[in-house]
Amino acid sequence: MRTMDSRQSANPALGAADGGPIGPSGPLRYVRVMAVFARNSLVRDMTFRVNFLINVASSISWVLMNLGFYLLIFRFAPSIGASTGWEQWPFFAFLATGLLINSTVHALFMVNADELSELIRTGNLDFVLLRPIDTQFMVSLSRIDWSALGNFCVGLILLATALVRMNYLPSFLECALYVFFLVCGVAIYYSLMIALAASSVWLGRNLSLLDFWFYITTFARYPMEIYQGRFGAPLRAAFTWVIPVLVVVNVPARLLVQSVRPSSASDWFLAAFAVAAAIASLAASRIIFQIALRAYRSSGS
Amino acid sequence: MTAAIEIKGLTKSFRVYQKPEGLLASVAGLFRRRYRHVEAVRGINLTVTPGEFVAFLGPNGAGKTTTLKLLSGVLTPTSGEARVLGHVPWRRENRYRRRFALVMGQKNQLWWDLPAAESFRLHQHIYSLPRTEFERTRDDLAEMLSVTHLLQQPVRELSLGERMKMELIAALLHSPEVLFLDEPTIGLDVVAQHNIRAFLRDYQQRRGVTIVLTSHYMIDVAALCHRVVMMGRGRIVYDGSLDGIVERFGGHKVISLHVNGAWSPELLSGLGELLSFEPPRARLRVARGDVPAVLQRILAAGQVLDLSVEDPPLEEIVAAWFAAERSDDGPSRRGEEV
Repeated sequence: MRTMDSRQSANPALGAADGGPIGPSGPLRYVRVMAVFARNSLVRDMTFRVNFLINVASSISWVLMNLGFYLLIFRFAPSIGASTGWEQWPFFAFLATGLLINSTVHALFMVNADELSELIRTGNLDFVLLRPIDTQFMVSLSRIDWSALGNFCVGLILLATALVRMNYLPSFLECALYVFFLVCGVAIYYSLMIALAASSVWLGRNLSLLDFWFYITTFARYPMEIYQGRFGAPLRAAFTWVIPVLVVVNVPARLLVQSVRPSSASDWFLAAFAVAAAIASLAASRIIFQIALRAYRSSGS
Repeated sequence: MTAAIEIKGLTKSFRVYQKPEGLLASVAGLFRRRYRHVEAVRGINLTVTPGEFVAFLGPNGAGKTTTLKLLSGVLTPTSGEARVLGHVPWRRENRYRRRFALVMGQKNQLWWDLPAAESFRLHQHIYSLPRTEFERTRDDLAEMLSVTHLLQQPVRELSLGERMKMELIAALLHSPEVLFLDEPTIGLDVVAQHNIRAFLRDYQQRRGVTIVLTSHYMIDVAALCHRVVMMGRGRIVYDGSLDGIVERFGGHKVISLHVNGAWSPELLSGLGELLSFEPPRARLRVARGDVPAVLQRILAAGQVLDLSVEDPPLEEIVAAWFAAERSDDGPSRRGEEV
């Protein structure tokens, strides 16, 4: 063992007034930490590469099977609902949009939300709470599931194919708006997920609540026009205005699909609502997360 | 000098779900739950000055770990106040979080599947440490703990002792001013325990950091800390030097005699509890207050070649106290059922 140099005896943390940041601070620090998370996750995935490849292959084949199933349906019906505009290729553009959003949520947040329940149950959230960085940021993004990007690529290919088949080239503005609404959609999904996961603090364990996320988001996987009639209308209202998952895929998809593009004031209102819903969901999840942290009991010794 | 740690009337109680035994009772528990109210920490007061190395000693469930968790802001207290380096811990300010570290012997904060070096790199960015300084600190610490060659090995492939050293490095990279150590040597073999202790003593002396340590091992405490805080059932029952524990809790003294044939075991037993009798040596346990009288009787009887009065070993005193704390653990910890 070697003793420590005298030059180290001066505490560097004391040098910076009140232990303030010494290196990069603010957003740059978060970007760097995020980069390390991404890198470490990739290194870890590569360590177990067979597992990684199986994950990619199984999730892509699940998506392809679903596409095959929809192709089958379109052999019997020209569109989803009469005169809704959701013919085969527009519908596939819709599916691609859902795929892009889902795979992004999956890649960035799914493992972490799962992990949060576990961190709370085992008391390992302690270590996250010690770090001088936003706890919700750390909890939400500390692992990235790179294998989910396989589906992201499938989504891109499917979207491109659909647009070509529709013979439509979106303008730059449309592309930008599309990406913007994708981000809003991801934000809504994320908020719902992290709020459910944070409730583990009160429930001890709630992987079943995370299943609840899957059940709810299932409703968002189809165009909102299908929710009609005595049963459909209340569902549509609930999943638009109360838990706004219906706007997640519908709003961006409508931007690109000519036959159902926003034309009336009410359509644009829905788009504006999607932005508001994203902001409100993020704020609500933040509040729930903070309350959960205060109630955290840190089990184990 | 302002205190590094100041605690006033700190209290933390938990409501614990009582899981009944058996399937039927479990189902009934779905509808009507029984809770137990546990007071883990009951209104403790404590002041620690900068640069002190304090040990928390006490049986399981005494409230040591809960106190450390309160001081590191992991838990919010039920009532009471605490300030560490002037910060209220449970406000969880980043400014405070840059200035302390918590190491838990029973928990792992490093990425399990990655080399420790990768976790350290993450710490560098979280704590915004300049690169050169970070690398120098990391390399110095790794060298002091003799783990430089293990930095690139996945954490899951390290031994318990090696992992503990990595945990310590991770905790010290940002040069904390206050360090909380919760049973840092638990489960380690004798050599690893010794190495960790030697490192901690050396590090504390050179850096002058304030350290609060909890341990079950008296040897940790004896080797490292001048000040011992003993906790029992959520309260501080003793705060002072190690030697003071003997005064306070050692109710007995041990009289060692060198006697000749005139003394029999029966005769000695009349004076106190006979611990051993191997002529010409005998050891007697005598209540502290009775020592003068017993000595007088021995000397009056004569035939004693040598005589000494000693305190029993510290380890024994503490063990006896732990056992006593635990044996009447029941009623006071059970609390009220609601």
